Amino acid sequence: MSAEARVVMDRDQRRRVRRSALLLGLIALVIYTSFIVHSVLRGLR
Amino acid sequence: MAQIEHSAAAHDDHDHKPHGFWNRWLTTTNHKDIGTLYLVFSCIMFFIGGSFAMLIRAELFKPGLQFLDPALFNSMTTMHALVMIFGAIMPAFVGLANWMIPMQIGAPDMALPRMNNFSFWILPFAFTLLLSTLLVPGGGPAGGWTLYPPLSLQTGKALPMMIFAIHLMGASSILGAINVIVTIMNMRAPGMTLLRMPLFVWTWLITAYLLIAAMPVLAGAVTMLLTDHFFGTSFFNAAGGGDPVMFQHIFWFFGHPEVYIMILPAFGIISEIIPTFSGKPLFGYDAMVYATASIAFLSFIVWAHHMFTVGMPLSSELFFMLSTMLISIPTGVKVFNWSTTMWRGSVSFEPPMLWALAFLFLFSIGGFSGLMLAIAPADFQYQDTYFVVAHFHYVLVTGAIFAIMGAVYFWLPKWTGHMYNMTLAKWHFWLSAIFVNVLFFPQHFLGLAGMPRRVPDYATQFTDWNMVSSIGGFGFGLSQFLFPYLIWKCVHGGQTATSKVWATPIGLEWELPSPAPYHSWAEAPSMATLAHGAPKHEVEG
Repeated sequence: MSAEARVVMDRDQRRRVRRSALLLGLIALVIYTSFIVHSVLRGLR
Repeated sequence: MAQIEHSAAAHDDHDHKPHGFWNRWLTTTNHKDIGTLYLVFSCIMFFIGGSFAMLIRAELFKPGLQFLDPALFNSMTTMHALVMIFGAIMPAFVGLANWMIPMQIGAPDMALPRMNNFSFWILPFAFTLLLSTLLVPGGGPAGGWTLYPPLSLQTGKALPMMIFAIHLMGASSILGAINVIVTIMNMRAPGMTLLRMPLFVWTWLITAYLLIAAMPVLAGAVTMLLTDHFFGTSFFNAAGGGDPVMFQHIFWFFGHPEVYIMILPAFGIISEIIPTFSGKPLFGYDAMVYATASIAFLSFIVWAHHMFTVGMPLSSELFFMLSTMLISIPTGVKVFNWSTTMWRGSVSFEPPMLWALAFLFLFSIGGFSGLMLAIAPADFQYQDTYFVVAHFHYVLVTGAIFAIMGAVYFWLPKWTGHMYNMTLAKWHFWLSAIFVNVLFFPQHFLGLAGMPRRVPDYATQFTDWNMVSSIGGFGFGLSQFLFPYLIWKCVHGGQTATSKVWATPIGLEWELPSPAPYHSWAEAPSMATLAHGAPKHEVEG
């Protein structure tokens, strides 16, 4: 990271930011997987 | 509350910009720098995608084959779409989001600055990969941006490159969307409640949720294309028990929300510009928020209107036809509210307002032709004709691109601290507005007369309108060179801009000086500042 300012947050805010980012990433991953799994199951029927 | 922490080294520099080209632009975590990178990247892609369009229009100037063989022509249509959608329009909106969201909600920066840098720097690699497919044996992808199998599976060595490029673009978009949501939900200044956020922030929040829901679907679809081609699966191969129509359903389940990903932030921009140049707050703020959310919800239940002719039960056709028509209600609310904002307002016609007004008229034309296409029995006539091409270019060029142009002319003085050349900006607008209609309006006639899309040659009865359309295309393309020239001149000088820039601006960004400091809102804005900059002028201390 360059020698520039960075955003600092209190612990609670940092925890909320990390938690919501991880949750959103997980949702994206679940959607990606579920469409492939759905297609596999459809093929197996 | 989030604040800015300054390193000792950064204090040596008055405005805390990092020294050196690479340090400033490659490793930057500053939302304004990353916004600039996105906007510059999108401008480059706009000209690359535009050059493909010029080749297409040159080829279609008259019947017969002139410049391109059919395979290259098909590559040009495919690459034009991919570059314009994923390289020009989407990154432009992400660039505007990066610049404006922290400034508009009173935050010092985006919540996840390193991820922000990563989201951007994925893109140049993705597009280098995509554009280099034009140089590999077999040529670039030529099956259309919709990538329908089995046609797309006939692509040569370009297929895995294109699929990897699409995965990279998707990853970049998802990371960017996560950053936007997390920033808006966690970094708003105290007192900036959800229903006091500027409309641009609202539309981007909803767009970010759409991105997270839609982009993984595209990733899943292209992953399955990859395994069908290289690993012997038969997801979309009828000979192996698969279903090529299933690809179309999956693709459009992504594809229709994608359309709204490209237009909702445009709605937000127009909702910022029109009140500013009407001297009035936006009419029906709450209704605008709910209309945006309604459009986003409906975008997930209309996908099969893109594939009426593929064959589906009558009940499905009715459902998708009626659900599509429902979208016109929240969209109508928006057009009504924009018009009513201007009603009895003190309207002035600076360049951003000209783009917004053109958006209002021309996007509505795209909306009306969309309603025509939504009528299932009529769509059997329109499917795969130039009528569809005319429709989505009215939505994406005079909709999305015009809004982006308006946004740049709106916020450029705030970014650079200089006013731009108003006369030249008006020339850019009028040339674009005239030529874009010469370019796309005749395509309605061609489509209704039966000219199919994605063809390098055509029957002679289509010659006249194709010539007119091509002349419009060349005029529109050439007039766009005014845009980077104007921005270059504005960045490097011009009349000094005040902090307010315009006569009656509304929003927190106008409370910052022009140019906006490298780190905006190092401390959260006070309640008095917030009240002054609030979109509804009603925040109470």
